[in-house]
Amino acid sequence: MIVQSLRLSLLVVSIATVVIAVLGTAFAYLLAKRRFRGRELLDALLTLPMVLPPTVTGYYLILLLGRRGVLGEPLYALTGWTVTFTWVAAVIASTVVALPLMIKSARAAIESVDPEYETASLLMGKSEPETFFRITLPLAGRGILAGVILSFARAFGEFGATLMLAGNIQGKTQTMPLAIYEAVAGGEDATAKWLALILTGISVTVVYLTNRLSRPAPRS
Amino acid sequence: MLDARIRKRLGSRDGRGPVIDVHIRAADGITVLFGASGAGKTSILRAVAGITDPDQGRISLGDTLFFDSASGVRMPMRKRRVGYVFQNHRLFPHLSALDNVLYGARAREGRSPRDRARELFSLLGIERTADRHPGQLSGGEQQRVALARALAADPAIMLLDEPLSAVDVATRSLLVEEIAEIQRKSGIPFVYVTHNHTEAIRLGKNMLVIDEGRIVQEGAPLEIFNAPRTAPVARVVGAENIFVGRVLGHHPEDGITSIELGSCKIEASYCGLPPGSRVTLGIRSEDILVSRERITQTSARNVLEGVIRHIIRDMDRAELIVSCGVDFKVSVTPATVRILELEPGVRVYLLVKARALHLLA
Repeated sequence: MIVQSLRLSLLVVSIATVVIAVLGTAFAYLLAKRRFRGRELLDALLTLPMVLPPTVTGYYLILLLGRRGVLGEPLYALTGWTVTFTWVAAVIASTVVALPLMIKSARAAIESVDPEYETASLLMGKSEPETFFRITLPLAGRGILAGVILSFARAFGEFGATLMLAGNIQGKTQTMPLAIYEAVAGGEDATAKWLALILTGISVTVVYLTNRLSRPAPRS
Repeated sequence: MLDARIRKRLGSRDGRGPVIDVHIRAADGITVLFGASGAGKTSILRAVAGITDPDQGRISLGDTLFFDSASGVRMPMRKRRVGYVFQNHRLFPHLSALDNVLYGARAREGRSPRDRARELFSLLGIERTADRHPGQLSGGEQQRVALARALAADPAIMLLDEPLSAVDVATRSLLVEEIAEIQRKSGIPFVYVTHNHTEAIRLGKNMLVIDEGRIVQEGAPLEIFNAPRTAPVARVVGAENIFVGRVLGHHPEDGITSIELGSCKIEASYCGLPPGSRVTLGIRSEDILVSRERITQTSARNVLEGVIRHIIRDMDRAELIVSCGVDFKVSVTPATVRILELEPGVRVYLLVKARALHLLA
């Protein structure tokens, strides 16, 4: 149970973190730099999973992706496959719940880069994507990395939405937080203790790393 | 040749901000935009570069149309080939000086970007800064790297926004000469924003005085500084008369240096510069006395005969523009104008103490 859930958690969280890093940075850039209609609404929508109880987020995800869901139904009709109760569902649930943290950190980091640097790059004939990758991203790098680590930690501890969308199937969708819940409920104190210790250890390391990265860079 | 007609309301959303309304023509050579801070100089540069758009107007450089509100043309800034030097250099802090310059460098005339960067580093005497990061450079070095970076991208025009305001006085003097030389070598027009008199005189063939978003006078810097046409111009250019002269000789025992200014010869307090050197001299318009008669028994070392060209009346004072071969502006009270019956065409004598003439950097 310990090894299985740890392995599954690491798989789910690694994939979720990569998706969060890319999507989160893209949304953060969009929200920080572009003025478009519905920007405030998009911002609110993307923040929602941070303030809603994860079970509610999970419930919405079922409405969206379940076999009868808005997207789930046509997907099932087309492929005969449904995402619920698979490890992919665990990835989706933790991604959605942790994404707001990434967006907030990355947006703050991108907005802290003096736009004159980007202007200078554009004036030298560089395109916007090149400017982003060679100027904005390196200058916002620490803040973005801090966001990645924070959302990794959040995804790692994800419970509610995962339970709703992926269920609690040992060896298939049972990540560490779910395994801890089951161990405690089933009176397996030793397992629960070890799982909790491992999870705490990883989380402490992550918070320590984030704090180190958030300190202002020794740069003038 | 840059031809820019720019109309733009600035700042506040309630639509009551200051309005920029200018028509600028900058031929080859250096055109100076001179004005107090907040006059709209930077906004004009930013509109030419495409960082902001005018509300109305048309901006073109040679045959290239940058912007035209009438036909809806708007060339993005990355296509304009504008070299821009910011007031605070804005070097990329995560790149070395060399990488900053290589960042936008283009190949030209068969020379690789790397060769061009190296040429610019040696032209500006900053070879040894190549591997250092902007935070490790002095103000002068930062601004030289910023110049090199803008030039390496092979611009069709250079826009410089008070590039020397954060540089110490000694370095500023050197950099002014370097900028003038770079302009000559590059052969492209430079538009140079400043509120520093010395920079304006040493760089500008043509100067536009900007006040509250408008061009209030245009001409050679020295003429404008010493003979402003209107009260707003007089306020913008300040109280200083500025001359470029040549040291004729010294009388150290008298504490005097003779200086030739155009057709006049004047005596200033002693300075150690060798005869023949060019000097920039200043004298404040309040420090000049006016007399209707030639006075001989006076402590003023210089008594210059001249004719009043015109009088600018402002609220509590009047500026006399007096031609003595070179023009002087002289600040007096309205009472003086009335009692001495001063008016254009009247012959007057200007009394200038040697000690009131001072050398400018």
